[in-house]
Amino acid sequence: MQDRDIYELLAGKLEDAELAWREAGPEAYALVPAARIHEAAIFLREDPRLSFDLLMCLSGIDWDGYDESGKGKSVDILGYNPDGTPETSDRVAAGDLGVAYHLYSYRHDHKFAMQVRLARDNATVPTVSDVWPTADWHEREAWDLLGIRFAGHHDLQRILLDEEWVGHPLRKDYQMPDRWTEVPLAGQPYSKNPFKQDNAPPAGGDDSGEG
Amino acid sequence: MSRESTTPPPGYDPAREHMLDFKVDEQLAQLVVSERKNFILTTIDEVFNWARLSSLWPVTFGLACCAIEMMAASATRYDIDRFGAGAFRATPRQADLMIVSGTVTAKMATRLKLIYDQMPEPKWVVAMGSCAIGGGPYFKFGYHVVKGVDFLVPVDVYIPGCPPRPEVLLDGLMRLQDKIRGRKGKFRPPKWVQDYAQKIPYRR
Repeated sequence: MQDRDIYELLAGKLEDAELAWREAGPEAYALVPAARIHEAAIFLREDPRLSFDLLMCLSGIDWDGYDESGKGKSVDILGYNPDGTPETSDRVAAGDLGVAYHLYSYRHDHKFAMQVRLARDNATVPTVSDVWPTADWHEREAWDLLGIRFAGHHDLQRILLDEEWVGHPLRKDYQMPDRWTEVPLAGQPYSKNPFKQDNAPPAGGDDSGEG
Repeated sequence: MSRESTTPPPGYDPAREHMLDFKVDEQLAQLVVSERKNFILTTIDEVFNWARLSSLWPVTFGLACCAIEMMAASATRYDIDRFGAGAFRATPRQADLMIVSGTVTAKMATRLKLIYDQMPEPKWVVAMGSCAIGGGPYFKFGYHVVKGVDFLVPVDVYIPGCPPRPEVLLDGLMRLQDKIRGRKGKFRPPKWVQDYAQKIPYRR
């Protein structure tokens, strides 16, 4: 079944929801309001003509600075300077966040893509981890790296970064940290000292030990 | 191309010139000459150094892709066991070499410090691969990557590559063996380890 027909079926099931169909990007997807995503997920999995039993991927998106037609160039993210210090910028991030769902059906061998758009300061969407259990860790990753909350998730905590990490690094306005609880994250320029001996602290450090 | 004919690289520090690797051999020769009157102690030092360099037991610390090359170096074709370093210990209590092969993340840095402190002295660290040397390809955008393991532990040998081939790892091991062969006296970690890396917290 073509994804356009799947979209028509989904729109027919959710009559009063404002669905939209986007074809401008590399893949066509359905834009679903956040409040109806759980209902849409159950319908897509349970309906025998669709039977989307596999959630291939659930990923968070930061739409800050991106062209809506899908052909634009996103903003440059901040990184580290060549001398190792973090780059700084006063740019304030605008734009929405989003969550993308890619579904696949083993029985009918068809695919479908959905997306939810969320406001940046209140990014909350109902979880689909009770519909597809694989969404459990995908949603934890979206929370960890982008700060998108999933209401109803049984254990929404960080999965990749440390539990005490502050900030969501994959947002477009994230500034690279200089250190994290005494672990240094700023680097040294490689060309500055080819023998890598400037990493020793300068105050009376005797680095001619036997080690 | 002789080394004397090239211009020194930027950042070259003449005060540290004696630590260049090709100058260590001259220093070793001078050391043997100067210590000739101390024959017995020199021989004991040599015997102990030979024993240590011939049985460097690494702790299994493969973190990322460089671990695959380390496994290849310990396999049959490149065979690290002929150097005596084939007994990879799972516990740091029985190891004296830590080959940091792979990217060190901030989350892993606390555990790396724990493993290093559990190793009994004398102990050596080999930074294998560009991630362990200086952050590697994650230098510019790595928000969770420690840009080089020498921010955490004192490194003896740096092995460049991404990843370095197994024979390059063996060459680095032989370089470390040369360093151990030229050692004299008790093992002393650099003084900056106590106050610089001491503040990194332990995590399990």
